[in-house]
Amino acid sequence: MPFGYHGCYLRIDVSKGTSEYVPLSAIVLRQYLGGSGLGVKLLLDEGAAVMDPLAPEAPLVFAFSPLVGSPLTTSAKFAVVSKSPLTGRINDSLASSGFAIAGKRCGCDAIVIVGRAADLSVVVIDETGVRMELATEYRGATCRETESGLKARLGANYRVASIGPAGEHLVRYATISHDGRHAGRGGSGAVLGAKNIKAIALRGTQRAEWANPDELTTISKSLSKRSFGPATAKYRELGTATNLLTFNRFGALPTRNFQSGTFEEAAGLSPEQLSTTRSKTRESCVSCTIGCEHIYSLGSGSGVRVEYESLFALGSLCGVSDADAVLRASQRCDELGLDTISTGGTIAFAMECVERGWLDEPWLTFGSADALVRAIDLIGSRQGIGNLLADGSRHAAEAIGHNSIDFAPQVKGLEIPGYEPRALQTMALGFAVGARGADHNRSGAYEVDFSDKVDRRHVTLDAVRHAIDTEDKAALMDSMIICKFLRGVFDDFHAEAAEMLRSVTGWDVSAEELRETAKRIVSAKRQFNLLAGWTPAEDTLPERFLSTPLPNDPEASLSRERLDSLVAEYHRQRGW
Amino acid sequence: MHVEFLGVPRQRAGISELEVQANTLGQLLGTLATQIPPLGEFIAVDRLHSSFVANLNGDQFISDPATPLVSDDCVLILSADAGG
Repeated sequence: MPFGYHGCYLRIDVSKGTSEYVPLSAIVLRQYLGGSGLGVKLLLDEGAAVMDPLAPEAPLVFAFSPLVGSPLTTSAKFAVVSKSPLTGRINDSLASSGFAIAGKRCGCDAIVIVGRAADLSVVVIDETGVRMELATEYRGATCRETESGLKARLGANYRVASIGPAGEHLVRYATISHDGRHAGRGGSGAVLGAKNIKAIALRGTQRAEWANPDELTTISKSLSKRSFGPATAKYRELGTATNLLTFNRFGALPTRNFQSGTFEEAAGLSPEQLSTTRSKTRESCVSCTIGCEHIYSLGSGSGVRVEYESLFALGSLCGVSDADAVLRASQRCDELGLDTISTGGTIAFAMECVERGWLDEPWLTFGSADALVRAIDLIGSRQGIGNLLADGSRHAAEAIGHNSIDFAPQVKGLEIPGYEPRALQTMALGFAVGARGADHNRSGAYEVDFSDKVDRRHVTLDAVRHAIDTEDKAALMDSMIICKFLRGVFDDFHAEAAEMLRSVTGWDVSAEELRETAKRIVSAKRQFNLLAGWTPAEDTLPERFLSTPLPNDPEASLSRERLDSLVAEYHRQRGW
Repeated sequence: MHVEFLGVPRQRAGISELEVQANTLGQLLGTLATQIPPLGEFIAVDRLHSSFVANLNGDQFISDPATPLVSDDCVLILSADAGG
């Protein structure tokens, strides 16, 4: 067994209340590493692609990685992998902090959960073994309430991942939360909710040994030192929210359900403006030296973590300029356990349907702060119109009709994040071909658009290889696992990644091997989707983006023919 | 020409925009490093550190110091990592 691993995963059947440690071969670990890669491999082995993701037999995987627990900065991360109830395709979401370390100390490289508990329960894993306890007193509790309640009950040194009310109500974009952070996209919270599992509480003592601790320490110190430098200044000093004004300046800030790329009131939502009227603190995930989390005060002593994606989705996308309302809405999503991108995308879609007279909810209008918060609460509880919106914009469009699917802001059912595809066309390709749907964390193609490699509004086939590179790199980072906010500090990421893995595992792994590993993981996701019923027609964008230029930037125009040619070239270069 | 700062460059510069005379991108960056010392950490002679990028008139991104500029150009200086 290589260093850095335990060589097994823990498989828990919550219907029967049984568990077993299942061996993992060194070959599988080297081929799929951990995190997203290992999670997809385990799902394929479980036959998950053809299952209903909310059925008892559908597996949910928490996958750790060889780097978890090491002194490498940003390595305390875990992946939650399942078939998505929102898309019916592969879903891998990542989150950070102590749950990853505690999980690996339970003596396994992944935890696979199958079955459905008879009543709302918590899975407890500690030195005494695996057991299930009733958690009915936490029914309806927020993620934070559940986490603090279980720590009070079990002990402060347990680490807890939980779902909020949205997960209990099977909202198809419910999250799994830990320590205020979320495995956010694709509805893994609903998968856990369907198993009647409110939370998983961990405490472990087993450590995986490292092959070369001295070398690992040297690498870790170097990486930490660089993480304080200019390459991470953006995250440290302003956070991701600083994208808001930049994207607005470039006409790439999705506004009013992608009807515009600029929001006239964006300045009021920017971190530069927010920090003039509110106190702000900064926090880090465990084992992270960057500290990208910027927490803004929100009255009555509470604070809310502000990210670009939440600001865009609950702000400009819904036409809401009231900063307090947007922060409150973001906080409410955190409490309920909702993905802010899909929440904002689905509400903005509904607002446009109301505007067109296709949805009889006259209160749900663009720009209404009260409507935004009300809609979020209805979604979290699946009440009224919230029951329809809880299934996401694609399902809602199918129910509403009128060809509203043409402007439902999604790909494969996953709502589009805050990058206007007509203004950032390499990203448009990344969205179209993404295995889990429209996503900026699995394709970093926006980096290409913000460079001199392409003309972002008139991309050619030359952009395809760059898009593939960013997708491969993301797959590798999500499997090792290391935070993407570090990507700017590496001169040669693959060479340094190989160094890290050599020092932890003892493998004679090379940069070239890791490039192949990344392609293997991307292919495994595609294999999952093929088994789940993927067809080529899914690799596209909604009609709005292919037939309507951005109103205030006619050059930001993307035809179906051009997107189709980019997608075809992508498939050709992938060898698919 | 007109220079706009966004994100970290704006924070470091302490201003959102200014007017500068320069014939090339390299000259412009050299002038900025001199006039606004907090930006110096991100400018090596006539090139931006890889964490910053420059854009011309909201259209093309530019990095070659010899890129010609004219008086009515608008150069945007922003953080390179656009994602979040």
